[in-house]
Amino acid sequence: MQFIKTALLSIALLSPVVHAAPSPQEILAASDAVRNPDYPFGMTNTLIEYKNGQQTDTSTLGIYSKADQSSGQFRSLIRYIAPARDANKLILFSGRDLWFYDPSSKASIRMSPQQRLLGQASNGDVVTVNLARDYKAISASEEDTQDGEKQLRHCYKVAMQAGTPDATYHHIEMWIEVGSFHPVKARFYADSNKLLKSAYYRKYEKQLGIERPTETVIIDGLDPKWVTVMRYSDLVKRDVPDLWLQREYLPRFKPE
Amino acid sequence: MKRLILGASLILLTGVALAQQDPDMDALQLADQIAAPVTAPSNWRLFGELSAGGVVLRNTDSFQPDQRASFDLRYDNTFAPGWRAVLSDRLDVDNPAQTPFDKTINTVREGYLSWQPVSDMLFDLGRINERNGVALGYNPTDYFKTNAVRSVVSVDPNSLKENRQGSVMIKAQQLADAGSATLLFSPKLGNTVSYADFNPDLAATNNVNRWLLSVSPKLSEDINPKLLVFKADQTPVQFGLNLTSLISDAAVVYVEWSGGSSLSQLSQAQQMLKLPFVNDTAFRNRLASGLTYTTDNKISLTAELEYNGAGLDEQQWQRLGTSPYYGLYRYWLQAIQESPTKRSAFLYGSWQDALINHLDLAAMEKVNLVDNSRLSWLEARYHLSHSEFALQWQLDSGSRGSEFGAARQTQTWALVGRVYY
Repeated sequence: MQFIKTALLSIALLSPVVHAAPSPQEILAASDAVRNPDYPFGMTNTLIEYKNGQQTDTSTLGIYSKADQSSGQFRSLIRYIAPARDANKLILFSGRDLWFYDPSSKASIRMSPQQRLLGQASNGDVVTVNLARDYKAISASEEDTQDGEKQLRHCYKVAMQAGTPDATYHHIEMWIEVGSFHPVKARFYADSNKLLKSAYYRKYEKQLGIERPTETVIIDGLDPKWVTVMRYSDLVKRDVPDLWLQREYLPRFKPE
Repeated sequence: MKRLILGASLILLTGVALAQQDPDMDALQLADQIAAPVTAPSNWRLFGELSAGGVVLRNTDSFQPDQRASFDLRYDNTFAPGWRAVLSDRLDVDNPAQTPFDKTINTVREGYLSWQPVSDMLFDLGRINERNGVALGYNPTDYFKTNAVRSVVSVDPNSLKENRQGSVMIKAQQLADAGSATLLFSPKLGNTVSYADFNPDLAATNNVNRWLLSVSPKLSEDINPKLLVFKADQTPVQFGLNLTSLISDAAVVYVEWSGGSSLSQLSQAQQMLKLPFVNDTAFRNRLASGLTYTTDNKISLTAELEYNGAGLDEQQWQRLGTSPYYGLYRYWLQAIQESPTKRSAFLYGSWQDALINHLDLAAMEKVNLVDNSRLSWLEARYHLSHSEFALQWQLDSGSRGSEFGAARQTQTWALVGRVYY
């Protein structure tokens, strides 16, 4: 179903007779559909952090996501699997409603969006995000760029600006391959136009019907030797009931 | 030879220039080399901990060393569809012993079965650490904390919340998309606290029949209060509220309140110890309200004001200091985990990856605003993938007889090592 939707969207966007060139926002939405299934799903995210060529941290997270019917944005429940000291701690992301739950102390703590959880990766990097919901794409020009596999790709360079308070970054440039709408790379900026980080979306594999990136490499804007690799595995379509996505369910959450 | 050097230099310069043009390539090459196995979830968490340190005694200013070995286990398994079993236990071996215990203290924190017959309804039966409250330092709605702490391994509020006995109860929870409702009953199972090493000590946590009803309606994305009604035998109904709100991308405010008719804490202590007491029953409020601010470099700071309407005011506290009931009152307060006086302040700061990777710093200051005594606590914790090491320091300061100045020690030091299996 997802494949058919993406194919139809691609055909519609590419047809010169029926439609004009896709708008920047349409390109962004099509690339969101490549990264994120449009139904509830679960997956494992393994984060490996490097500084100056040395591995400094590794974490494994179980992620359960579902798009909110009204906002279209994803709500996610994240469970730490590793390291051992964090195992089974939970984080609920529901818009700006963020809760951290520790099964040892049974404490549910409200968090602010600024509280970062995993080294360099911001909350917005870890959880599933539909960029087209939080950002307004203002332009799209075509150019060739090198992708994460060091291959040249013909891309739309889409410039977008934060459109909602939920947006993590002030503005973003994203290179999206013409035709496939595969996100190739992105640069994330602060209000001051300082480069905060770059990301490469790579290692495309067929998952849940279409080619999706199975790895994101995040490079710090200030220190390029600070690198976080996020690897996605075990992507499965699964039910994520709304009941799960509330504070009072956190002590109950035990998916296996 | 010159040509060779020139050629090599050009190649080198070209390489440097290319690297400067695209510094991302190094990062991508690094990512190509990473082989990270995916870790599977585990139903077990098990660690061993060794602690060595000591206290500086207030009376003699001498150093008294102490050591501790601990084993900590948590098992949580969904063993059949809709069925879940939880066991959580901790064994502490202290030298010297924590009074009035022997050197060995086993704490059965939790042991219960959970049944979910349909997706929106759950039942639990067993010993459960039922914890309510959004505040960090003082939790007026944490109605099940009385006699829960059997072994004190740190004054860190997180440790006190984690290392304690649950109460035996039966609990039902109804979930809906717009919120949740929970009803529980915790029966009386005994009268006498047991200090025996491996006694599950059910009489400590279940010495009176208790009921709790809590409702959490989700009024909006930001407003999700929790309302509580608590009743224990021979005690009037207590009402509770927990509320949080996001005031910016970096700041959360919270308020936790409990109110109801009750005796003052001093009268409660005298009544429990079967001494003559004044019936000073009145509607009393307990409140903790604070703000947590997070900077963009992983520093979180919390400031909390605390009010305990059943505690003593300045004059009452001063008078009690010279009365024979002072010791009994302090003994009672240890059991119920309440402050002796009405007003306190709590500050807590933590800094993840402070100065170097994997080093977490934490600092806490509790101030009794009635007698101006203070409890200061600092911790530096360095963690690796399966182990962590911490250095902890605690300072109890204040006048003799004050909340923190009455402690037998002025300083406490501990070096702690923990290994996860």
